[in-house]
Amino acid sequence: MKRFSQLAFPYIVWSILLLLLPMIIVFFYSITTGGNGIISFEFTLKNYIKFFTDPDFVIVLWRSVKIAVKTTIICILLAYPVAYFIAGNNDRVRNMLVFAITIPTWINMLVRTYAWIGILTEGGIVSKFLKMLGFAHTELLYTESAVLIGMVYNFLPFMILQIVSSLCKMDRSLLDASSDLGANGVQTFLRVTFPLSLPGVVSGISLVFLPAVSSFFIPKLLGGGQYFLIGNVIENQFITVGEWNFGSAISVIMAILMMLSMYCVRRLESKNSQESD
Amino acid sequence: MKKTVIAAFAAVTAIGAALLMSGCGQKNEGEYAGQTLHIYNWGEYVGENTISGFEKLTGATVVMDEFDSNEQMYIKVANGDAYDILVPSDYMIERLIKEDLIQPLDKSKITCLDLLADGVKNLPYDPNNDYSVPYFWGTVGIVYDKNKVDEADLEKEGFGIFADEKYKGDIYLYDSERDEFMIALKYLGYSMNTSDEKELNEAYEFLLKCVNTMQPEIVTDEIIDNMAQGRKALGLIYSGDAVYVMNENEDMGYFMPESGTNLWSDGMVIPKNAENPELAYEFINYITEYEAAKDKSEFVGYTSPNKEVMDELSGEGGEFEGIDAYIPRDDNANDEVFEYNDETRKTIAELWSKVKIAASNAG
Repeated sequence: MKRFSQLAFPYIVWSILLLLLPMIIVFFYSITTGGNGIISFEFTLKNYIKFFTDPDFVIVLWRSVKIAVKTTIICILLAYPVAYFIAGNNDRVRNMLVFAITIPTWINMLVRTYAWIGILTEGGIVSKFLKMLGFAHTELLYTESAVLIGMVYNFLPFMILQIVSSLCKMDRSLLDASSDLGANGVQTFLRVTFPLSLPGVVSGISLVFLPAVSSFFIPKLLGGGQYFLIGNVIENQFITVGEWNFGSAISVIMAILMMLSMYCVRRLESKNSQESD
Repeated sequence: MKKTVIAAFAAVTAIGAALLMSGCGQKNEGEYAGQTLHIYNWGEYVGENTISGFEKLTGATVVMDEFDSNEQMYIKVANGDAYDILVPSDYMIERLIKEDLIQPLDKSKITCLDLLADGVKNLPYDPNNDYSVPYFWGTVGIVYDKNKVDEADLEKEGFGIFADEKYKGDIYLYDSERDEFMIALKYLGYSMNTSDEKELNEAYEFLLKCVNTMQPEIVTDEIIDNMAQGRKALGLIYSGDAVYVMNENEDMGYFMPESGTNLWSDGMVIPKNAENPELAYEFINYITEYEAAKDKSEFVGYTSPNKEVMDELSGEGGEFEGIDAYIPRDDNANDEVFEYNDETRKTIAELWSKVKIAASNAG
């Protein structure tokens, strides 16, 4: 056993270098002033105060959370039936379907989002189709709907795959037991299948909500420069304004919020599973 | 000043180019065979044969990375990435000089300065061209649909047309704090290089009013295709992009207000940490001389600093005959060149992000 644990050593070094160290640097930037040079600095909390005392930033944060919640809900509603269907097949078909779901993710997210510009733009496929149906002038690109479509499209596979894997792990004999005890299909689903698939839904939520809330290129491309989310604010602080300290402070605030929300979801889940025991 | 780099496409082309290069690099036995030139340039900023021509001539291999804003380039260069040539804009060249990141040019190795048009030489950011050789230049102006926009409105209001509710929901703003503050300050009759807080605030108020009442779309290079297809009435655009738009769509015009605009130029500079300055000098001379300069300007649409090329392309029978956006204006005393000021830069960047937040709240 000891030998095996020694094998983990490179991974520990790796994690420290690539995960822990960058986070420490971001945190360090967020509580100092002095720009991009680390040589001269002063400790301060003014970056955090600036964020919370400026209603503009709080509004942007609120909008980001709202759109991420919407994305997550739509993803669950779309992904669950698909996952349920996939999981119901035999191994061979299921693997093929899972494979089919993964194929689009081989293409870079940025490229796929660019493709949506062409689809949603004026005179694109969607607006032509809507015109045929009689909707004369529809603006799709550079609206919230466009951003929402882009996010759901990009993050949906993660949700589906998570739910599929948790549905597959489920012991099939539980379903037989349930019907032996007189439960009908709906009851079985609500009281056996769904609670048992919750871990998948929860990890799906973390894989969808977290990237959605901090996404910056999807709103930038599909929402236009006038659709500003918290991810864009951070990007803007680093790239254009050059205020790395303030940008870092917003990143830390986001990280804390995400950890809190994940904690809440996990609590909810464990409470749920205790109740069903 | 630039056209879009779709990062991913850039990556694909880079790989393609790399494959091509590895193919043809071996065939040639030039003076610089086996050496590599690293260029950091705007996306879609070279001609069809610019790179392959240089490789054939020198035998060297060219590796070109692309950026889509001066700031993006600055971060990479300031953090120590080594390139042999950069192509930043005027104010950024000034900043690089001030921060001692680029080297003075060895004038004995630059043979092309005589070829340059007068209007693009010895500009305030680099008064004697000691550090930079111009690459492209031009102005910033309003691209408009002649069928939708009354030219009398343009004459009368200048950049104020971006707050004229007659064109509500029909305009594009350009997502760059420098350019948007430029139009606001010029409209108000101030210098675009002002550091006066009151004047900057007035400009900020103007832009706020614009996004709150006009429902603009704030885009970057999407404006090029969108205006070429006539999707909106008007927008803020770089002259070189206007050339492309007007070449594609006859209904489009280009207008520069009397109150002045930004006269900009992008120049080639050699960083302090360049690994192959000799080859960089070769490239600077090569691309400024007639053949490569013509190929580049004809293909991209931006104004060549080479006088002969500029005159030929805008003259009778030239590719851009009759397209006024191609020739930078040199007879308006209100036109200005950007100067670098770190304090103001931060202020307007901060204010511009507030304008965008206001725009998303309004929408």
